[in-house]
Amino acid sequence: MADGRYSFSLTTFSPSGKLVQIEHALTAVNQGITSIGIKAANGIVIATEKKSSSPLVDDKTLEKVTMICKNIGLVYSGMGPDARVLVDKARKAAQEYKKIYMEEPPTLILVTEIATVMQEFTQSGGVRPFGVSVLVAGFDEKGPSLYQIDPSGSYFAWKATAIGKNMINAKTFLEKRYNEQMEIDDAIHTAIITLKEGFEGAMTDNSLEIGICYCEDEEFSLPGEAGFVEGGKKIRKVGKFRKLVNEEVKDYLANIA
Amino acid sequence: MALKFELPKSGFNFDNYNRNLILESKGLKSPKTIKTGTTIVGCVYKDGIVLGADTRATNGPIVADKNCEKIHYLAPNMYCCGAGTAADTEFTTNLISSKLELHRLATNRQSRVVTAMTMLKQMLFRYQGNIGAALVLGGYDVTGPHLYTIAPHGSTDKLPYVTMGSGSLAAMTIFENGWKKDMSREEAIEIVKDAIESGIFNDLGSGSNVDVVVITKDKTEVLRNYKRPNERVKKEQSYKYPRGTTAVLKTSIRNFVDVTEGVATPMDLS
Amino acid sequence: MSIMSYNGGAIVAMKGKNCVAIASDRRFGVQALTLTHDFQKVFEINDKIYIGLGGLATDVQTLSETFRYRVNMYNLKEEREIQPKTFAHLVSSTLYEKRFGPYYCEPVIAGLEKDGSPFICSTDLIGCTTFPNDFVVTGTAEQQLYGMCESLWEPNLEPEDLFEIISQALLNAVDRDAVSGWGAIVHVITEDKVITRTLRGRMD
Repeated sequence: MADGRYSFSLTTFSPSGKLVQIEHALTAVNQGITSIGIKAANGIVIATEKKSSSPLVDDKTLEKVTMICKNIGLVYSGMGPDARVLVDKARKAAQEYKKIYMEEPPTLILVTEIATVMQEFTQSGGVRPFGVSVLVAGFDEKGPSLYQIDPSGSYFAWKATAIGKNMINAKTFLEKRYNEQMEIDDAIHTAIITLKEGFEGAMTDNSLEIGICYCEDEEFSLPGEAGFVEGGKKIRKVGKFRKLVNEEVKDYLANIA
Repeated sequence: MALKFELPKSGFNFDNYNRNLILESKGLKSPKTIKTGTTIVGCVYKDGIVLGADTRATNGPIVADKNCEKIHYLAPNMYCCGAGTAADTEFTTNLISSKLELHRLATNRQSRVVTAMTMLKQMLFRYQGNIGAALVLGGYDVTGPHLYTIAPHGSTDKLPYVTMGSGSLAAMTIFENGWKKDMSREEAIEIVKDAIESGIFNDLGSGSNVDVVVITKDKTEVLRNYKRPNERVKKEQSYKYPRGTTAVLKTSIRNFVDVTEGVATPMDLS
Repeated sequence: MSIMSYNGGAIVAMKGKNCVAIASDRRFGVQALTLTHDFQKVFEINDKIYIGLGGLATDVQTLSETFRYRVNMYNLKEEREIQPKTFAHLVSSTLYEKRFGPYYCEPVIAGLEKDGSPFICSTDLIGCTTFPNDFVVTGTAEQQLYGMCESLWEPNLEPEDLFEIISQALLNAVDRDAVSGWGAIVHVITEDKVITRTLRGRMD
């Protein structure tokens, strides 16, 4: 391979203008377990298969869909340990934002923050790019949004997408099934059957991880206004992220079979 | 990270420190910061913890805020009353609340009160009392209800009933006189309210209303302005000036325009 | 003497009915010596937010530039206008960062929220925020202003009435403060416009 002699040095341009290390990182992602993200009319669904290397592994400890802050969550495909570092950094960035503005970060701000970290790892000395792509699901004042971030640090907004091993088939499948009026419930359903396409073995509540972003009413009082003074409590919409518990996943699976 | 180029990260900045020292050495006094003055209390009862606070903030002898919030959120199962330099109590509790949230995300477990207490005391000790936060920390975790006081230098106490702030003596008399083991929720709220009112009426640094927070095993209730014993009497008449009273030299009005997206009408070029 | 009274000044902000007003005097002096009477102490953050900075004049100008920078960066990065409450927290955290070497400056903020409701806020020099329901004051005429505002302010003032109340409160307060005065400027922010008026006051 002509690019071979450049791939020993971390992320160096090859004469053909490629960054081979980044392409290798993407290859690592494409060997990872498939993850799905779908934007529904009233929220976002992210889902992935939870696959352990041996039946002896206690899969309760595996976690690939993770919460970043109250309104944002992510799922990754690729190398678990790399993702963990990224999740840590993302959570810290979210807290930094909160410390300054006293509100949850908008999805795009957190996405650029994660993307910047990933980009820095393609240009810094002594490091290698992250071997993960992530799907970030968030709900902010502009509504629900779904982003994909790649090892190069580039990010895209999607209505529905897939990353990992089975992404091409999954994307083709999603193209057929997706419509914009879909609600969260339908989106979870679609996510499960999309994953089912490339699934090896039986699908159980233990082998599936699902996270949802949605909008919830929250009581609040303006600063300085005691709750009950002047027109009582006010209601505002706030974005939330949460993972589905096993029982909920089981119910959705029961509907499919 | 991108953020750091625009906004400095945590940690204090001492850029102005030397300049301020010079100004002070020239006899210019440094202004006072807002203090909470404050009566804050907490007590353990049968099913959990009740925290209480007054709502006056003072700037020297001036009442800076008549209805401020002194009971700060730390975690869903934990709240913290703050006395002393108001900004310090606000930012210290915010910082620890943020650390607790990260800790919860990393461990997938509810925060423990000892964890928060340790983080707070270590931070305050590190700053040798220069962060003027005196705190009453209360919460309910897997090990049961806990109530602590944390002094600005970082020392802590764990007691069934505690008071802090300038009104702590007034409030403590109420507890010493009426606190019982295993009180009911109503009794506990009542004695906390009485303790705060004792501070409100007998300590000049405390005033206005009573805030209460009740924390039990699986529920936290924030009773903001639980009692308002100092409602202002309604003005019977108005001091409104007739329009045009004030002599104006110049008026400029800037109207906002609404920019709406839509089909633009082409310019008439004929 | 306190550093806060080295240059003098008085700023006040008040809530009205779907409007807010912020007013300041215009004197810039060094102790008893008056240098100008067109000094800016109230700064526009965006259409619906104004900030008044009271205290040491050099810090007033440094901070106004700091806030301009940070808000511009916010607007560019987030592609949206900053909201009053968010801005208040930005001010607060900016000041607290210098907890042990503060700017000698006590800001007041006036603005309209997205739903049109009035917002006012004041902070001390290290960023302790207060969000009252009626009015906020800062500067050397603070005590006089508190007195004026406590008696004149009432809820649900229309923009025109709010203007008279805030103007009279400020003018009469600064008349009893030797280092404030020399004219005044008032901004009334409503849903669809900002009315800025300069007032005639005593020039002594």
